[in-house]
Amino acid sequence: MAVADVLTLLVNSLTWAMATFLVAAGLTLVFGTLHILNFSHGGFFMIGAYVAYSLAQAVGASDSVALYLFGSLAAGVLVALLGLVVDRLVLRRLAGVEDAYILIATYALLLVCEGATKLVWGLKYQSVMPPQALDGAWVLGQAVVPRLSLFIIAAGVLTYAALEIFLNRTRGGRLVKAIAADAWMARLMGINVRRVYTATVALGFALAGLAGGLLLANQALSPSLASAFVIYAFGVIIVGGMGSISGAFAGSILLGLIDAVGQWVLPTLPGLPFFAAMTLILLLRPQGLMGRRQ
Amino acid sequence: MSATAFFGAGLRRDLLVLAALVVAGLLLPAALNRGLIFIAGMVWINAVFGLSFNLLFGLSGVLSFGQAMFFAAGAYGAAVLTQQWNVPFLLALPLSALFGGLLAGTVGAVALRRNEGVYFAILTLAFAELLHLLVVNTALLGKNDGLSGLARPVLGAAGLRLDLGAGDNFYYFIVLACAAAIALIRWVVATPFGRALQAVKQDPDRAEFLGIPVRMHRLAIFVFAGAMTAFAGALVAPWAQIVTPELAHWSNSTNPILFTLLGGSAYFWGPAMGAVMLSAVFYVTRTLVGISDLVTGLLLLSVVLALPGGVLGLADRLLRATRHRSAGHAGKEAEA
Repeated sequence: MAVADVLTLLVNSLTWAMATFLVAAGLTLVFGTLHILNFSHGGFFMIGAYVAYSLAQAVGASDSVALYLFGSLAAGVLVALLGLVVDRLVLRRLAGVEDAYILIATYALLLVCEGATKLVWGLKYQSVMPPQALDGAWVLGQAVVPRLSLFIIAAGVLTYAALEIFLNRTRGGRLVKAIAADAWMARLMGINVRRVYTATVALGFALAGLAGGLLLANQALSPSLASAFVIYAFGVIIVGGMGSISGAFAGSILLGLIDAVGQWVLPTLPGLPFFAAMTLILLLRPQGLMGRRQ
Repeated sequence: MSATAFFGAGLRRDLLVLAALVVAGLLLPAALNRGLIFIAGMVWINAVFGLSFNLLFGLSGVLSFGQAMFFAAGAYGAAVLTQQWNVPFLLALPLSALFGGLLAGTVGAVALRRNEGVYFAILTLAFAELLHLLVVNTALLGKNDGLSGLARPVLGAAGLRLDLGAGDNFYYFIVLACAAAIALIRWVVATPFGRALQAVKQDPDRAEFLGIPVRMHRLAIFVFAGAMTAFAGALVAPWAQIVTPELAHWSNSTNPILFTLLGGSAYFWGPAMGAVMLSAVFYVTRTLVGISDLVTGLLLLSVVLALPGGVLGLADRLLRATRHRSAGHAGKEAEA
C-alpha cells in the first residue's frame, strides 16, 4: 500500500468521521443533558439540508462560500426554532417516561419529519454542487484530496472546538454540564433547569440544521438521508460514550478509521466493520470509550 | 390486573375471538377484490409479526428494535429452501421458523446481556443491520435485488393435489396458518411460563429472588418470538412472490412496534388491531406520497403522549364508562 493510498484512506475516513460527528454532536448533547435519545435528530438534520437547498435554489446558482455558510446558519436557526416547538409539544411531556417509550416517541417524530419532507420536497434525489472554491481537488503526488473533504474536516474540528469552549469556559455551558451531572441538585441551587433544557434542545437542533447545511454538497439529498445518518450517529455516540462531546468526536474518528480499514481488508462487505465495532463496544464497554457508568 | 398477563384476557374468550376472526377472514374473498385480498393476507401475517413482538414488549418488558432480522430470516429461508433446494413448502415453513429461532437464540444469548434502558434496543438494531448488510452482499440471496419469481406452492399428499397458486387458495392457507400461530402464541401467554414473564417485566430483581431464572426466561421468549416472526416471514415469500433486503432493514423492525403501540401493548389483541389500522391508513393514503408517514408518525406520537393504552385502551375506557353509567341506572348487581 503506497503512501498515496494511505493518505486517500485517511482523508476519506476523516471526512466520513467529521460529517458524522457534525450530526452526532447535537444528538449526544441532548442525550447527555435531557437523557432523551432522540431518534428524530436525523430527521431534523435532513430538514436542515433541504432548507439550505431551497435557500440556494431561491438565491440562484452561486459560487460563494460565504453564501453556502450563510445557508447553513439559516438552516441551523430554522431547525432550532422547530426544536423549540418540538420541545414544547413533545419533549417536555416525556419527562419521567420509560426509556423505551421515549425511543418510540422520537421515532414517531422521525416518521413525521420524513413524511413532511416527502410532501414538501418530493421523493426525487437532488444533488447540489459545492461552491467553486470548494469544488475540485488538490493533487499531492499520487493522492487526490478533494477540497470539499478538507472543508468538512475543518467544519467538524471547528464545531468540536466551539462546543468544548462553550461547555467548559462559559457560564451557560457549565450550567448545561451541571444539570447533566445532577439535575436535582442543580434545581436545589436555584438554577432554572427547565430553561436550560429548552436552550439545550434549541442548541442541539441548531447543530442538526447546521450539519444539514454544511453537508449539503457532501451527498445526494433524499428522504432516506435521515435514517442513514441517525444510525451512524447512534453508532458514534455509543462507541464514544453517550452524552459526551469529546466521546462523539473520538468515536467518529475511530469508527471512520475502522470502516475505512475494513473496506480495504473486506471490500465485499462494506459497512460491516462499523456495525461489528458498534455491537462489540455495546457488549464489552456499554458506557463507551469516554463515558462513565451511571 | 387480572390473573393473566394481558388486560381482560381469558384464554377461552380469546380463542373464541380468534375463531370469529378466522370465519370473518375466510369469508372476505367473497366481498373483496384481489388487490384487497392481498392486503388482507398481509394483515394476517403482520398480526403474527406484531403479536410475536408484543411477547417481548408487552409481556416481558423488553424492547427489540431488530425483529426485522427474524422476519427476513424466515422469508429468505422459505425462498431459498423452496426455490433453490426444492424443499416442499410444508416442510420449508417449519424449517424457516426453526431457523428464525436459532438466529434469535444466537443473538439473544449475546444481546440479552444488556437489557437495561435503551441498550438492548440499539444492540438489536445493530445486529439487524449487520444481517441486512450480509443479505445485501450475498450472491446466493440475490444481493440488492432479492429473490423474485417465487412460486406459490402446490400441496400434494396421497393422490390429493391442492394448488395454492390458484384463485384465493393461498389466502385461505395464510388465514389458517396465522390462526394456528396466534393460537400457539396465546397459549404460551397463558402458561405458567407466560405468567412468570409478566413478573419479570414488573420487577426483574424480585422475580429473580422468587426463583424465576430471569435471563433464561427472557432468552426463551426471545427465541420463541423469533421463531414465530420467522414463521410470519416465511408466509410472505410465496404471498408477495418476491423477497428483498428491505425486509431486513431496520425500518421493517419498527412495523411491529407501530402495530403494538397503536393497538395497545397491554392488550393481547393490540398488535392485531394495530396491523389492521395501519393497513387501512396505508391503503387510504397510498396515492399521496409522504402522507402515510406523516399520519403514522402523528398517530404513534399521540398514542405515546396522550393515549398510552392505544386504540383498544381507548375502547376499553369508553366501554367501561358506558357500562358504568348503565349500571348506575339498572342497579348495583349489574356490575359483576
